[in-house]
Order: sequence, then C-alpha cells, then structure tokens
Amino acid sequence: MRRQTKKKINKVLFWVVVVFVFIYLVFPFYWALNSSFKTENQLMMTPATFVPRDAEGNFAPTFENYKSVLTNPTFMRAILNSTIVGGVTTLIALVIGSFSAFALGKLRFKGKKLFLYLVLSMTMFPQVTVLAGLYAVINTLGISAMLSMILSYMIFTLPFTTWVLTTFFKELPVEIMQSAQVDGATAFQTFYYILMPLTAPAMVTTGLLAFIAAWNEYLFALTFTSIETQARTIPVAISLFTGKIARQEPFGEIMAGAILVTIPIVILVLVFQRRIVAGLTAGAVKG
Amino acid sequence: MGKTPTGNILKQEQSLAYKLLLPTLIVLALVAIYPLGQVIVTSFTNRVFASDQETKFVGFDNYAQLLGVTFKELEPKKDKETGEIIRNEETGEIEYERAIMVLPRTPNRYKELFQFNWFGKRIVVGARDPEFLGAVGNTLVFTFFSVLLETIIGLFLALVVNSNFKAKGLMRTTMLIPWAVITVVSARIWQWMLQPGTAGFFNMIMYRLGLSDGQASFLTNSALQMPTMVMVDVWKTAPYMALLLLAGLQMIPKELYEASEVDGAGKIRQFFQITLPLLRPSLAVALIFRTLDALRVFDVFQVLMSSKMYSMASYNYFQLIQNRAMGLSSAVGMIIFVIIMIFSIIYIRAFGVDQT
Amino acid sequence: MKKVLLTVLLVALLSVALFAEKTITVAAGAVGIELELARQAAAEFEALFPGVKVNVLDTPDMVQDRLGLYLQFFEAQSDRVDVYQVDVIWPGDLAQHFVDLYEYGANDYVPNHFPAIVENNTVDGRLVAIPWFTDAGVLYYRQDLLEKYGFDGPPETWDELEEMAHVVMAGEKKNNPDFWGFVFQGNAYEGLTCDALEWIASNNGGTIVNRDQEITIANQNAAEILEQVAGWIGDICPEGVLAMDEEGARKVWQAGNALFMRNWPYAYALGNADDSAIKGKFDVAVLPHGKGESAATLGGWQLAVSKYSKDPALAAQVAFFMANYDHQKARAMESYNPTIKTLYQDPEVLEAVPFFGSLYDVFTNAVARPSTASAPNYNEVSTLFFKAVHQIISGQSNDALATLEELALDIAAVTGFEPVFE
Repeated sequence: MRRQTKKKINKVLFWVVVVFVFIYLVFPFYWALNSSFKTENQLMMTPATFVPRDAEGNFAPTFENYKSVLTNPTFMRAILNSTIVGGVTTLIALVIGSFSAFALGKLRFKGKKLFLYLVLSMTMFPQVTVLAGLYAVINTLGISAMLSMILSYMIFTLPFTTWVLTTFFKELPVEIMQSAQVDGATAFQTFYYILMPLTAPAMVTTGLLAFIAAWNEYLFALTFTSIETQARTIPVAISLFTGKIARQEPFGEIMAGAILVTIPIVILVLVFQRRIVAGLTAGAVKG
Repeated sequence: MGKTPTGNILKQEQSLAYKLLLPTLIVLALVAIYPLGQVIVTSFTNRVFASDQETKFVGFDNYAQLLGVTFKELEPKKDKETGEIIRNEETGEIEYERAIMVLPRTPNRYKELFQFNWFGKRIVVGARDPEFLGAVGNTLVFTFFSVLLETIIGLFLALVVNSNFKAKGLMRTTMLIPWAVITVVSARIWQWMLQPGTAGFFNMIMYRLGLSDGQASFLTNSALQMPTMVMVDVWKTAPYMALLLLAGLQMIPKELYEASEVDGAGKIRQFFQITLPLLRPSLAVALIFRTLDALRVFDVFQVLMSSKMYSMASYNYFQLIQNRAMGLSSAVGMIIFVIIMIFSIIYIRAFGVDQT
Repeated sequence: MKKVLLTVLLVALLSVALFAEKTITVAAGAVGIELELARQAAAEFEALFPGVKVNVLDTPDMVQDRLGLYLQFFEAQSDRVDVYQVDVIWPGDLAQHFVDLYEYGANDYVPNHFPAIVENNTVDGRLVAIPWFTDAGVLYYRQDLLEKYGFDGPPETWDELEEMAHVVMAGEKKNNPDFWGFVFQGNAYEGLTCDALEWIASNNGGTIVNRDQEITIANQNAAEILEQVAGWIGDICPEGVLAMDEEGARKVWQAGNALFMRNWPYAYALGNADDSAIKGKFDVAVLPHGKGESAATLGGWQLAVSKYSKDPALAAQVAFFMANYDHQKARAMESYNPTIKTLYQDPEVLEAVPFFGSLYDVFTNAVARPSTASAPNYNEVSTLFFKAVHQIISGQSNDALATLEELALDIAAVTGFEPVFE
C-alpha cells in the first residue's frame, strides 16, 4: 500500500515537473505568436491579453504584420541566404571536423592535447574583439559576403564539431576498428563505413547545433553584408525592420518574422532527426 | 627504436592523423591567426579604434587599468569640536568618512568597489575600473547559475525524450522551439514579457492573480536583475544541453539496460550505474561549450541591461564601440580568454576528456 | 570550387561596371519613409547628372549598431561608402574621418541652416557635416485630462508638472491602476543624458562640460533638480521608467496610461494615428523649467563626406543636394524636423505638422550635448554622466551632490579638463 502511494506521488510530481518545464519552454513562443497578430495599439493595451482583442474585448487578430514581412523582399531573400550560409558552414564544419575528430578520438599521435587546446582556444575570445581583425582579413582576401560569413563562422563551428565528435568517436569500442582492420579495411573505409553510421545521432545533433549557431549569428553578418546588401541573413534583415518613422519599433513585425523562420526550422529538425537518425542507426545495428 | 611492426603502425597512424588534422589547421589558420594575434598585440598598446592617433606600446598598462585594486583604511567620522566618534542615530553604528577622501586620485584614480570590516577596522577596496571587475563578478555568478540550471533541465529533457513516457513526442518538439528562435529576437520577446506595467505578461499575470499591483520593474530592481537574466538564458540554452545529452544517451547500447533489467536493477540504479557514467564524456563537452558561451554572454545583457549591468563581453563591446578604446578592449578580450581557459582546463582535467 | 569561380567572376563584372560610371554610396537610415525619401533624392540626382549613380545603403536604426558599423569602415579606411548619415553627437568624435565641407562650397548653404547645429558640426573651424534633419525634446500632455481636472494649460515649471500629475493621478488611478503622471527616457543610455541635460539646464545647472572645457556638473542646482526627479520615481513616474527608452515611454503614453511624456517629435504623428487610444486628445508643448529657462536637447542627423571617398567633391554635391530646401521639405511633411529656418514658415509644412510653427523657438534654441567640447571622448563622458544620473534617480545614491562631485572627477580623469566645484 505505502509503496504504491509513494509511487503515485512520484508520478504526480514527475508530471508537475513535466508540465512546468513545458510551459516554461513554450510560453514565451506563444507570447511571440500572440504578439505577431496584434497591432501596435493592441500591443500597448493594458492589461495585456492572451489573444489579440480590440477595445471592446472581441477577438481581433491582424494579419498586417505577416503581410508586410512576406512582401519584404530583403526578408525573403534573407531566408535563402541564411539557409545557404548555415548549410554550407555546417557541411564544411562537419566534414573537416570529423576528420580531425577521427584522428583525435581514435588515432595515436604526438601533440594531441596541444591540438585539442589549440582548437578550443580559437573560440575563447568574444566575437566583438576579433571582429576588427577578421574584417581586415576579409578585406585582404577580397571575397564575397557569403563566403566571408561561411569562412568566419568556422571560428565557432569548427572547434565545436571537432570537440563533440571527438568524444563520440572515442566512446566507440576499439574492437570494431580492430576487426575492420583485420578484415583489411583501410583507415578511411573504417571511418566511412563503420564509424560514420555508428555516430550518426551524434553527427546529426552536432550538425544541427552548428547550423543554428551559424543561422543565429548577427555581428559578423551585419558587418560583412553592410555593402553587399543582397547577401543579408535573417538576423540582419530582422534588425533592419523599421517602423514608418524613425525610432518607431515594429514589434509585431519582428515577432511575425521570428515566427515565420522558427516554425519551418522546428519541423525540419523533427523530420531530419526522425528519418535520418532512425534510418542510420537501424542500419548500423543490423550490420 | 627498432623498426618493429608496432612502430611502423604507429608511424602510419601518426602520419594519417596529421593529414586528417591538416584541413582544420588550414581553415583556422586562415580565419583565426591574424585576428587573434592582433588582439594579443593590441592589448599591449594604447590603440584607439578607427583613429589616426599614433599607437604606442604601453606594456601592461591596460591590464593594470582593468585589474588594479587598492586597500585603504577608513577613519571614523569625528565631531569637529569634541573629537568624539559619530554614530548613526538610528542604528548606533559608527559612521565613516567618504571613501573618495582616502582613495588615490593621482596618477590613477581609484573608485570604490566595496567596503568591509576587518578586526574592527573599516577597509575600502578601490579599483581603477570597478565596472570591469563588477562585470567579471556578474558574469561568473550568471555562468554558475545558468549552467547549473540548464544542465539539470537539459538532462531532464533528454531523459524524457529518450524514454518511453507519453510526453516524449511533445517534449521533443517543445524543446526545439526556444533554441530555434533567432537569438536577436529571443531577448526582445523576454524584454516584452518583462515590461513594467500590465502591458507586460509577468506583471499582467501577477496583477490578475492579485500577487502585486502589476508595476514590478524586473530589469531595474537589483534583486530581480540577475534571476531574470538567468531565467532568460536558461530558456534559450537548456535545449542545446538537452540535444547534446540526448545524442550521448542514444549512443548508449540498449543491451546494457536489458542486461541490468535481467539483474533486477531499478530505474534509479540504472541511471547511476549505466546512464551517468556513460554520459560523462557528452556531459563534459556540453558543459565546456555551455560554460564557454555563458562566460562570453553578450546578446541578452546588451538588449535587456544595456549599461545598467555589464557582462564581460558587453563591457568589451562598450569599450570598443562606444569608447573606441581598442587597446583596453583587447586586454578585456585577453582576460576573458584567460578566464575561459582556466575553466576549460578545470573541466577537462576533472572529466578526463583529454585522456585516451 | 564552382562557387569561388562564380564569385570571382561576379566581382570582376562588378568592378567593370564601377569604372564605367561614378558611384556615390550614401549610408542612411533604414526606416521606411526615410529610406524611400533618400532613394527618391538619389534618383533625382542621377537624373540631373547622367553618369553618376547614387546608391543608398540602409543601415540599422539602432544607433549603437550603426556606429559600430561605421567604425569598422573607418578602421579599414574603406572607400566603399562616400556619404554617412551621422548623429548630432558624432561630428566631434569622428571629425578626422570627414572632409571639410567648406572646401567644397558649403558656404553657399550654411547661412540657411540653424546656427546651433552648424556650430555643433564645426570642429576646429572645419564643417564636417551638413545638417539634414533635427530633433528636440518636447513635452506631450493630455489636453482632455488637464481640462477634466480643471487645469487650463500645460505646466510651465517642473513643480507644476508634479502638482498636476498628483491631482490627475489621484482621480484616474481609481479606474486604471496602470495610470501614471509622467514618463520619460530613464534607462541608463544616451536618452537619459538628453533628458537629464534638459532638467539640469532648465535649473541653471549648466551642460556638464562648458565651451571652455570646464567640468561644471558638480553644482547645487543640478543636484537639486536630480533629487526632485528621484522623488518622482514610484510617485508620479512608474518604477519601470528607469528601464524605458523612447519606445518604452511611448508605449505607456499611447495606450493612454500617462498624463505627460517627454519625447522627441516623432511620437506626434503616431499618437494621432487612426487606431490610437489618444488620437486628438493630446498636444505638444515646450518642456517645463526649474529656476532657469526651459531647455530642449538637440538631436537629429547630418550628412558627412568620408575622407576616404574616391571622389569627395562629387560626394559633397550629393550631400548638399539631399539636404537642400526641397528635400528637407519632403521630409518635413513626414514630420522630420528640417534644419532650414525658412521651412518653419512654409504653409504646406505647417499644415502637415502644426506644432512646427508654435515650437519654432524650441528647435532653434535647442541645447547641444557637450559632444564637440568633449570630443573625442564624448561617448565616455556621456556614459559616466547617465550612469551617475541613473544612480541618483533610482535611489542607489542618496547624496546627489556627492555623486556629481565624483562624476566630475571621473570626467576629469577621462578628458583631462578641470572640474569646477562650487
């Protein structure tokens, strides 16, 4: 009896925590969604309402914010730019990073610790400190804004992918590699056919985290795209949303823009995780 | 060393390793060496950003400016006629003279950082740049609480999503949302919710529930500032932690759990015997990167606090962009670098990440 | 690889295009109507001078982001932007990156503009920027509520403002707990420097640093008015005013939750929008004063020509063209205050924005922040100032004069100027 009540209490407690965490995570997003359907005056209304209402208290959402965001050519273009920049950055960081990670996690060589620290130390400076130097490098190389962003994002994505993948590679049992070597597989084959599929969940997660880091970056993007305005990414485009008149902040539009780029990402990630992770891990286990 | 077969294999491995590391080295050399080198060199100069003023080497002056502190004893206030020590009429405590009277002004001005009592004496700590030392303190407190909380919540989320609970699918979707919201916007969402007056969500709900008059000011009340910042940051970054830990969890072979179930181990024992030890490497990396990011926290402080409260990175931004003190701000960058390095080394040692 | 080739090709093509005709790039604001008007002016210039292309770059409306971006250009001595839109507080700090417009014929234009702004833009005898549009702090007040409680006009002194706020709040707060007497820009940022300068200057407390580069801030009048403001917080102003910027104050005001607001003229048109809760219920007046004359802080934007421009003479012509009578008039119709005196008598402008006429004196006599006197350290001085003011009005420091004395020493350490103590 007592044990059962204890179990029940635990269960209730667990659900309370789940609900609390759920609200904490979702509510700010709901509030953004709510705000994106409000006019400026509805946003200012006191007390604030859970859904857009007019002065009489009737449900009155506006679609103006979405209309103006969707007809903003800079914004639509920015979605494409961000996707390209984020995608290419992630791909390069994953491929190059997994090379190093394989070496660091599975091979024996001198200077491993030094290399690990060296790579990590690249990301230890605050962004604004390195910006001036980086801008000078970009100017000297004379490359396009897109390429500048991709290259400069390596500063924070590459150490990340290298480090995370290293730990995951390290965790894999050595026997798998040894048996592969016995079978006559080259190191590359071992890497490609055995390690890659086994670390697929880690690869996907690492890639996603790197992608979002690149997707979110603002300071570098603002500086590098200042002249080449057609290369602007989403954070820059959103920061350039303005009201009708100077100083007026178009909060509803900013929220609408944020909602429009968040939802596809979430869906994409869900699909990606389920399909690829499921497919690859299933294959690996069977093999 | 003889040319033993193992030696050969080792050599082969070593050369393969270097080849594999080469691309990373090239890319990082291309984008990082010059900017980082410039930061190091500039931190020893008086360089002004975007200025034709001549740059001079000043040695460690910038560091002395940022870190310089002094200790001075404060004299109690005395009545001018009787020479008696003046006490506060209400509390009876001794009143001391103003710190500004004892702190040095030349060649460098020291400002009051804080005061404390030491064996019956009143000591004032003066700093040449109390703002920076304050920013360091703020950032450390912020990092401690936010990393701690996001680790707990992140681990919880990862366990839920990796389990068979009913809430699994819902949680998986939910936890992606805060993380996918563009950073420059997420601070604004919170700023909006934290507004003073009932146009802000928190004030509205507290007012509706009768908990307050709905006029709380979360961003200016010094007791609420830090908890607010931590709440905002944990919201944004707990999913990051959760995703990394989830990947770690997914790498744990299912067979281990099956075997331990046969042994009759409970869920909690399984967690401490299997999950936690095997999750250690993922946890270590997640902690390293989250701590590193938290120590460099910028956006939330910049948007929500502006000059009311600095983090190390927002102070750095302020020095570079507002004051154009490039030499000083580079030194700030270097100090941040050293602090982060110390944290990293502690983590790496504690978790044995660099062990093979 | 393909991508690299493509980029190389694109850059090559672009540079060919660049040499074919002269291009002048103007970095301007991103705001809808502002940007549109700038682009229109650019197109007109192109029509007048075939072979010249005028590009208008939109830069962030967030002043700090814009400054950060400009500094990157100057640090790299970039020739890719020729004309910069600069804040009224920047000419002093950035003077070394701009050409002297007098060398390119500014003499013809200068006499038409407000002398105070021209003086602000003149550094060591060089005119580093041509005034484009101006701004000044004004008092917004709720006409309907003042009438309802039996007042026949806006307050003339800060004491009157306090008194009126008390009376109206006592009545209104019964039905609306969110109602407050006064909102302003109280966050620790440049906006507080503007507001505090108005309080202090209007109480004969000076302008922080005077023209002779003496630090005058540590005086009894300044301390007195700041202590008065500190008393307002939680009384006639919400505690949250300490985190408000322009938009934060306008949100409270435009929802009908404040009797008075200190703000820039931009809030006028927005408050009179069709769905505004206070449409037609408010008006604008000169800010109240203390012991002295009422004061409004000068704001606004100028056009400056980069020293690194390939063709500064042409760039200067573009700047003069964009800041001329016709283009300032087009902006004035959208309630951007012109800097050309005669536009304040233009009937079309006055019809669009009636208060331009009644507040002419406010705009001509606006008080400049000590940005030119304290250059190139203005930003640092201002930051020290607004942080000290924030400390005083938020009650963190309870001895205003002592705080201002410390502030004077801090400013002295930054600038090397002499502090003056009473």
